[in-house]
Amino acid sequence: MFIHELHVRTQIETEILSAWVEASWLVPLQKEFSEADVARAQLIRDLKDDLGVNDDGVEVILNLLDQIHGLRQSLGDLMDAVRGQPKEVQHRIAAALRGTKTLEEG
Amino acid sequence: MSDNPYEVLGVKPAATADEIQKAYRQLAKKLHPDLNPGNVQAEEKFKKVGAAYGLLSDPEKRGKFDRGEIDALGAERQQRPFYRDYAGGREQPYTTGEGFADFAGEDDIFAELFRRSAQRRANMLGGDIHYRLPVEFLEAVNGATKRIGLPDGSSLDLKVPAGAREGQILRLKGKGMPGTGSGPPGDALAEIGIRPHRFFTRDGDDIRVELPITLREAVLGGPVSVPTPSGPVTMTVPKGANSGTVLRLKGKGVPRADGGRGDQYVSLKLVLPHGTDAELETFARSWSAGQAHNPRQGMEV
Repeated sequence: MFIHELHVRTQIETEILSAWVEASWLVPLQKEFSEADVARAQLIRDLKDDLGVNDDGVEVILNLLDQIHGLRQSLGDLMDAVRGQPKEVQHRIAAALRGTKTLEEG
Repeated sequence: MSDNPYEVLGVKPAATADEIQKAYRQLAKKLHPDLNPGNVQAEEKFKKVGAAYGLLSDPEKRGKFDRGEIDALGAERQQRPFYRDYAGGREQPYTTGEGFADFAGEDDIFAELFRRSAQRRANMLGGDIHYRLPVEFLEAVNGATKRIGLPDGSSLDLKVPAGAREGQILRLKGKGMPGTGSGPPGDALAEIGIRPHRFFTRDGDDIRVELPITLREAVLGGPVSVPTPSGPVTMTVPKGANSGTVLRLKGKGVPRADGGRGDQYVSLKLVLPHGTDAELETFARSWSAGQAHNPRQGMEV
């Protein structure tokens, strides 16, 4: 969708949306916005209007949120990979996370 | 949580508009689903707080509610998407792995997992290409430069560090798949596979070798020449040495990253000359102590 439809969907002024694109808070692909951008624009509005966050604060929050989602994604991939391992390997990983030592003979 | 909007926001019925906004902000900061990506209850609570605020922040609706003309259930509950529901998608341009790229070192096999999400869709980093690099035992211990040919026809010199381990990964920056747009190319990852040696074996940073010695050397002791990865050295066999006796050559093992070296352990193996020897047979028959000696005593035979 182009910026006009994003405006219709979010009820956020086109000039404001353009400023957010300028600030790289929203990154359209070849001027097209996605469903994720609709939700992201609403999040930015919530931060600014409802939570009283200023522009510098929005910048910091978006940056940290993007890192959190990156971390969640990698952690999710890691968990998928762990679940794909034999039960014994899963137990060893769980034990290592709890800081316990696997018992060995001798 | 009750449905009464004053109780939901935790304010008195006489609260001013400012107090109501302040209370809402306080709660929204804690409960906004996008600020709580993994908390499933946050969304329901946030919607309830939002509905209460929607009612109390509008003087007209608040008046009607206070006079009992509408109830809290009449307040509209917003239906809307939250960013967190999209943020996990692979095609999503914002998500970044920059914040924890330090979790895995360059050589770590998991490095790719933490680097992968640090991508922007317009200018994407190229993918990594994986190779296997066979090296000789002594090349891995002492270090070597290997000239390798890449699939695109080019060749380059790869430095195998001294003390390289089996499975260690050498990263060739920018030798992977090309990126898109102004995105940089990925890396080539070469996994080291070490070929076995004729007589050396490796045990972490230590080298193990079995050294044949003569009967004379075992009985009388004396200097012998021993091969090590960095060249032959002279070692003294103690008087009365035996098959299985292990001697340590300190600092003659595998180079370590900290500049030190492991040790070489030399396991002696007594070897008699081929064929029979009349003089040795005569000696063995006449050697009285040899008749009483029973090395199999511990085996209960």
